[in-house]
Amino acid sequence: MSVSTAAGAGRTRPDITDRLKRLILSDYFVLWLSVAYFAALVPFFPTLANPANLANLLSNTWPLLAVALGQTFVMTTGGIDLSQGAIIGFTSALVAALLATAGAPEVLSKAPIWGVLITESGGILSGQAGSLLIGLAIMLATGIAIGMLNGVGVAYFRMPPFMMTLVTMIVVSALAIWLTQSENIRNLPEGYVMLGKGDIVSLYIGPQDRSQIPRREIMSLIGYPAVITIILAVGAHFLLNRTVFGRQVFAIGANRQAAEISGVPVRRVLVAVYGIAAFCATVGAILYSARLEAGRPTLGEGTFLLDVIGATVIGGTSLFGGKGKIIWTVFGVIFFVLLSNSLNLMNLSSFHIDMMKGAVILGAALLDVARTRLSREVSS
Amino acid sequence: MQPDDSMINRERMMRKHVANKVAIAAVAAAGMMWSSGAMAATICFAFQDLETEFWVAGHQAITTTLAEAGHTVLERNANEDANRQLEQVRDCIAQGVDGIILIPQDGESAVTIVGEAQDNDVPIAVFNRPPSDLSKGIIVVADNAQIAQQAVDFIATQAIEANPGEKLTPLIVVGDLGDPNAVGRRDGFYAAINAHPDAFNTPIEVASEWDAATALANLEAAVTANPDIDLLFTSSDFLFPTIRSVLEPRGMWKKIGEEGHVPMAGLDGDVTACRLIKEGYVDATGVQDLYFEAEAALEAILAAIESGESQPNEVIEDPGFALTSANLAEREMDMWGCVLAQESAS
Amino acid sequence: MTPLLALEGIGKAWFGVPAVSDLDLAVPEGVVLGIIGENGAGKSTLMNVIGGVVPPTSGEMRWRGDLYQPASAADATARGIAFIHQELNLFTNLSIAENIFIDSFPRRLGVIDTGTMRQRTATLLDRLNLHATPDTPVGNLAPGERQLVEIAKALHREAQLIIFDEPTTSLTARETERLFDTIAGLKAAGTTVIYISHILSDVQRLSDRIAVLRDGRLVGEGAVAAFDVPTMIQTMIGRELSNIYPPRTAAPSPEIVLRVEGLSQAGVVENVSLKVHAGEIFGLFGLMGSGRTELARMIFGLDTTASGTVSLNGLPLEGNARSRIGAGLAFVTENRREEGLMMDATIADNLVLAAIEDFGRAPLALLDHDRLHSATQAMRDEVRIKAADIATQPVRALSGGNQQKVVIGKWLMNKPRLFLLDEPTRGVDVGAKHEIYAIIDRLAAEGNGVLLISSELEELMGICDRIAVMNHGEITGEFERAAFNGTAILAAAFRETVN
Repeated sequence: MSVSTAAGAGRTRPDITDRLKRLILSDYFVLWLSVAYFAALVPFFPTLANPANLANLLSNTWPLLAVALGQTFVMTTGGIDLSQGAIIGFTSALVAALLATAGAPEVLSKAPIWGVLITESGGILSGQAGSLLIGLAIMLATGIAIGMLNGVGVAYFRMPPFMMTLVTMIVVSALAIWLTQSENIRNLPEGYVMLGKGDIVSLYIGPQDRSQIPRREIMSLIGYPAVITIILAVGAHFLLNRTVFGRQVFAIGANRQAAEISGVPVRRVLVAVYGIAAFCATVGAILYSARLEAGRPTLGEGTFLLDVIGATVIGGTSLFGGKGKIIWTVFGVIFFVLLSNSLNLMNLSSFHIDMMKGAVILGAALLDVARTRLSREVSS
Repeated sequence: MQPDDSMINRERMMRKHVANKVAIAAVAAAGMMWSSGAMAATICFAFQDLETEFWVAGHQAITTTLAEAGHTVLERNANEDANRQLEQVRDCIAQGVDGIILIPQDGESAVTIVGEAQDNDVPIAVFNRPPSDLSKGIIVVADNAQIAQQAVDFIATQAIEANPGEKLTPLIVVGDLGDPNAVGRRDGFYAAINAHPDAFNTPIEVASEWDAATALANLEAAVTANPDIDLLFTSSDFLFPTIRSVLEPRGMWKKIGEEGHVPMAGLDGDVTACRLIKEGYVDATGVQDLYFEAEAALEAILAAIESGESQPNEVIEDPGFALTSANLAEREMDMWGCVLAQESAS
Repeated sequence: MTPLLALEGIGKAWFGVPAVSDLDLAVPEGVVLGIIGENGAGKSTLMNVIGGVVPPTSGEMRWRGDLYQPASAADATARGIAFIHQELNLFTNLSIAENIFIDSFPRRLGVIDTGTMRQRTATLLDRLNLHATPDTPVGNLAPGERQLVEIAKALHREAQLIIFDEPTTSLTARETERLFDTIAGLKAAGTTVIYISHILSDVQRLSDRIAVLRDGRLVGEGAVAAFDVPTMIQTMIGRELSNIYPPRTAAPSPEIVLRVEGLSQAGVVENVSLKVHAGEIFGLFGLMGSGRTELARMIFGLDTTASGTVSLNGLPLEGNARSRIGAGLAFVTENRREEGLMMDATIADNLVLAAIEDFGRAPLALLDHDRLHSATQAMRDEVRIKAADIATQPVRALSGGNQQKVVIGKWLMNKPRLFLLDEPTRGVDVGAKHEIYAIIDRLAAEGNGVLLISSELEELMGICDRIAVMNHGEITGEFERAAFNGTAILAAAFRETVN
């Protein structure tokens, strides 16, 4: 009797571990994890499922996702981009200086950009036809140029990505603070602000017997940030997973030397990858600065980078390179935003929140190692 | 390095400390006010940054006080990240708080956050750092001119009493006049001096540009040209060490009551000023009354909640006060610099 | 008399491929034992086993008759075994004395006793005839002097067996002489020495006994008198060419595919000229460090050249590897793992890497997955990769032979005209070797040129039409198939004169 039980257990156990392995290796693992986390917390924190909170979750997802998409490209090549935050601060201040409808002399008159890019009557582009588009184009081009500089350092001078982007982070952020004298630039044109705040589809759940619905009961469902980020994500997905370029990105991350010997234009691809990361950061800059209604040189400082890298790694993009998917990053960002939101709802102090986030990122990094090992096990 | 970097940093440091002190005061005030009442409010307290030490020390006191009074406070620390503060306030709104008290990262994000709260019909009060637009929300602002006037008034009286009938020479170290704070402080100084038209010569103005090195050079020149100074006002306390290095070699840095003492006043109420007043070198300093500000913000927000007003707009002026050698004993603990000094001493 | 060290049935396999098998060898005390063998004959593995760096998979060792099972290199040191490697393990920033006492500083009252340290070092240096003060930084010494410091270190540890592994590679003739004197001195003092070298005349001159390794086995052992240089070479090559080499299916044509002329790069390759014809398998033989891999890298555009030209089908090749790949070159490198494959990526992803740009559809270079799929499947069949599913299985899961087929398949997708194959059968089992030879033959039969680099002479003689031999960056001989003579080729590689 006991012998047969043991034999039975011996047969079923590998089956369960096998399923667990497959679950961990699945593309949707982090999504299931988010759903499970959400379901487990809702009974204790009902506000979590409150439509207003869900709308917040979504609106916090878009800008972070935009930035993390770029980080996914860099990490897939086995690199890391620490300068994304600084690029956000710099480009947000730049676009504000170009587009502001008015400048405040008492705040900005000592800044080097005063009189050059911005005066009392606003940024040099303000009031001109098509100024919004020109301003955005200059902003994006500047962001991409900074990113490509990272790429040149990494690709042509073989600087470690960590070092190169760290230097860029320090220099670009210092430059932004010096140019503006650490002052925020207000009076952004309405069209720009709409990019961060504008609603396209809003939702109201409740009785229809009131003549006026209180604003707080209307949930923003789809706004410009959602549209912008979704377009960006779809584009990134195609680029990374469906094009020759994407394959070359993977090849560099999997084995740069082998890629080089196989004729992959490693240096060109790397420059483009860091350019893409900076482009995504700049889109993030648009969303963040538009919703705050000011360009700020210090945007993206501090622990922001933790959020970007954390969300990307949690999604499953490997820190070692050669593995990455846009959809993983989407799920990673959702999980990360959900985590931050739930920790806020638990009324933990910000120190505890950062400690928890750090622990979760550590867990994600360990999971990355475990996945790599598992995938080798399963395949061999 | 830009000349006013040190100023910016200093300003930041100061703000940080102020925020810390106010955090305790604000929450403690909420507890006190409602300890007798029956209504329990949920208030979101969103601040831009806190020091760890403070947090450890203050957290227990705040939570127990409020729990006893039956209120809930949701604390949100933005860690100097304006975006995070916006998200945190949104979270608070989603959680259905009754009101929000905000110490913003800066004036610009404050406007956005106030707008966000008001759009969602949640009353909001801002203090310690005013939004760029004062027309929305409950805004508690310090009146620089009034605060300066109080401090200068005290030393003017002292100087006149010590030298009856003489024509006295006052000196002011002005800040960067591009900064509205510096302008207000100078206005307050003149208001106090001009109240005694017969007693004073035209004041000597020394420019500092909010920079210690500039202040040092200009003050050296001014004191060399006019060795007989009867009264000195600095637009910020952080310049006291600079002033000392100019006056001491000339025998003008003396305690109250000693021969050659120059009545001196400042503004800000930092740790150095507190120590100098206690030691007797400085006579007075004007202080933002943060305890008043916190209490005013809270009172206003609770009143708005009670009356069901969802978008209260109000500007509350903080007249501040002058901590002087005369009222040191009773008001010492109302000045954040002294509170900090005591904290670090213990 | 009990030998100092006795190996009994020692075997060591790497990933199932035996590097040393069933090896019996006795090292008598007080002799100098020379060990020779081709690259890959198992010398390094054997030394690592003796040194405790790797455990043997079978057999046992005895030290003075007692069982010797080193768990680490430290165990070997503790027994009195010291290694003098090609690359020295010295701290150039420290003094001679500090290097010698690095792991056991003499102390007095807890403080390093520099006086004792200097004095003992001076004695050791004196014994080795090294005229330098104990405080001299090792960085200031010439390579030969540094080697003496290593020997001093061994003596200080009272080593009873000192193993020299290619010790003269970086020495001048005079330094070499001094080293030989030192070794003679050691022997006179009763120290046992194992001397490993490719320079057969040195081995002959120094050794009392000689052991010859081939394919991980001991194929000859005896007193030095029984081994003149030709005998040594003969023993190293060993058996007759076996029939694992498939018959060649086509003959080379006179058309020249690759032409290298006067290629030079100081210290690496000197004035190398060669031609590879269409349909020809051109072998390049040389010992490790002879410059053959460097030559291939230069032809492929990975390393810079100081002078000389390379042309393919009459057109000069210039620029980086990428442009040369476009012109029709393919390079199977000697390090599959580092330079050939993305180990964790799938077989299909690896196969398509070199030709990826052919699968993009304009204008966005979106991948044509259907074509990609059919092309990789076809290539899998063509080079016979044994895998369940090439679209999901990572190459890491494949055997060495199949991995190598993936590398070759990757290049075939690109339809090149000239293949540079650097050690394509290294770490590959016999069955897969046969398949790789068949693929190489087919490449040639299809009219391509093949430049095959190998340290296995047998293999080159088995399938090449011509063999060139390199030594120290120079071509030292060229042999037509009809004139293949193992002894002569090996002699050219060693630059020994054989009558």
